[in-house]
Amino acid sequence: MVKPKRLLSLLLRIIVLGATLAAVIIMATSHEKGTFFALSYEAKYSDTPAFKFFVIANAIVTVYGFLVLFIPSESQLWGLVLALDLVLTMLLISSISAALAVAQVGKKGNSSAGWLPVCGQVTKYCNQVSGALVAGFIAIITYIILLLYSIYTFLNPLLGKNG
Amino acid sequence: MALQNEDKLEVGYSSLHPKPKKWVLLMLRLLAFFATAAATVVMGLNKETKTLVVATVGTTPIKASLTAKFQHTPAFVFFVIANGLASIHNLVMIMADLFGQKLDYKGLRLAMIAILDMMTVALVSGGASAAAFMAELGKNGNSHARWNSICDKYKTFCDHGGGALIASFAGLILMLIISVMSIIKLLIKPKPDDELESTGLIPSGVNACRFNSELGKNGKSHARWKKIC
Repeated sequence: MVKPKRLLSLLLRIIVLGATLAAVIIMATSHEKGTFFALSYEAKYSDTPAFKFFVIANAIVTVYGFLVLFIPSESQLWGLVLALDLVLTMLLISSISAALAVAQVGKKGNSSAGWLPVCGQVTKYCNQVSGALVAGFIAIITYIILLLYSIYTFLNPLLGKNG
Repeated sequence: MALQNEDKLEVGYSSLHPKPKKWVLLMLRLLAFFATAAATVVMGLNKETKTLVVATVGTTPIKASLTAKFQHTPAFVFFVIANGLASIHNLVMIMADLFGQKLDYKGLRLAMIAILDMMTVALVSGGASAAAFMAELGKNGNSHARWNSICDKYKTFCDHGGGALIASFAGLILMLIISVMSIIKLLIKPKPDDELESTGLIPSGVNACRFNSELGKNGKSHARWKKIC
C-alpha cells in the first residue's frame, strides 16, 4: 500500500538517520588518555570547537530525522520539511567541512604555524574521529540525494504531465 | 470571435510586464557576486611577512623572515576556491538573466538554475565554515594540543582573514535567499504562457500571439496551434 516514491524517500531518511546517529555516537565517545614524556594528556572531542559543532549539528539532524519519520503521507507539512531539508543540508556540510579542516591539522600539523601533528600520540582518538567523519560523509551524501529526490517528487505534480 | 480576442489579450499581457521579482533577484545576485568576489580577492592576497632577529653574530644581527600566506592552510585554499567558483557562478547567472532569456534546454532552465544555486550554496557554506574554524584555531590556539595562537604575531593576516570571512558569510546569506527564491520560482504554478509552453505543443520562447479558433477554453485541448503574429 506504500507508494514506491514514499518507500524510497523513507529508505533514504532511515539511512541518513543511521549515519548521523553513528557520527554523533562515535565522535562523542572518542577520548583517550596517555602520557607523553611524563606529560599526561587527555584527548576528547570537546577540546576543539569544530568537533563540538560537528556533534551538535549531527545531533540536531538525528532528532529532526527521527521526528520526520512520523509525519503522515499526505500532510501539509511536507513543504516545511523540504525547506528545513535545505537548511539542514547546509548545516551538515558546514559541520563536516569544519571538522575535516581541524582533523587535517591534527593529522598533518601545520609547519608554518609551528603546530605539531598530534595523531601520533593519540592514535585511537584519531581513528575514532576519522570514523565519525566517514559516517558524516555518508550522511551528507545521502542527504543531498534525498533533497534532490524530494524536490523532484514535489515538482512532478506541479509541472504538468508533458511526457 | 470575441473569445479569440480575449484569449489574445490575456496571453499577450504577461509577456509585456516583467515581474518586479526579477529585478530583486538580479540585485541580490549582483550583491552576492560582489561579496564572494571580495572574499576571494581579500583572502587570495592575504600575506604577511615578519622579520625577526634570530641571533647576533658579532655586531651583525641575523634576520630571518617568516611569512604567513593563505596557501599554508588547506582550509583557506578551499575557501578561496569555493568563493571563486561562487563568484563565477553568480556572474554567469547574471549574464544569463540579462542576455540569455531565451536559452533553454528541454524546459529545464528553472530547474537547472535552482539546482546550480543549491550546489553553490553548499560549496560556499563548506568553505566559509572550514575557514571560520581554522581562523578560530589560529586566534585562540588549542592548549590541549599544544598549538599556540598565531594572531598576536601576524595581526594583519588575521584581520584580513576575518574581513574575508565576513564578506563570505554575507555572500552566503544572500545566496541562500537567492536559492530559496529560485526554488520558489520553480514551484509556483505556471502562468498561461508557461502552461502552454509546458504542454510541449508550442516551442518554448515563442510568444504565441494568436491562436487558431480550435483553441478550447482551458487552452489544453488537442488543438492545432498556429503562430499568427
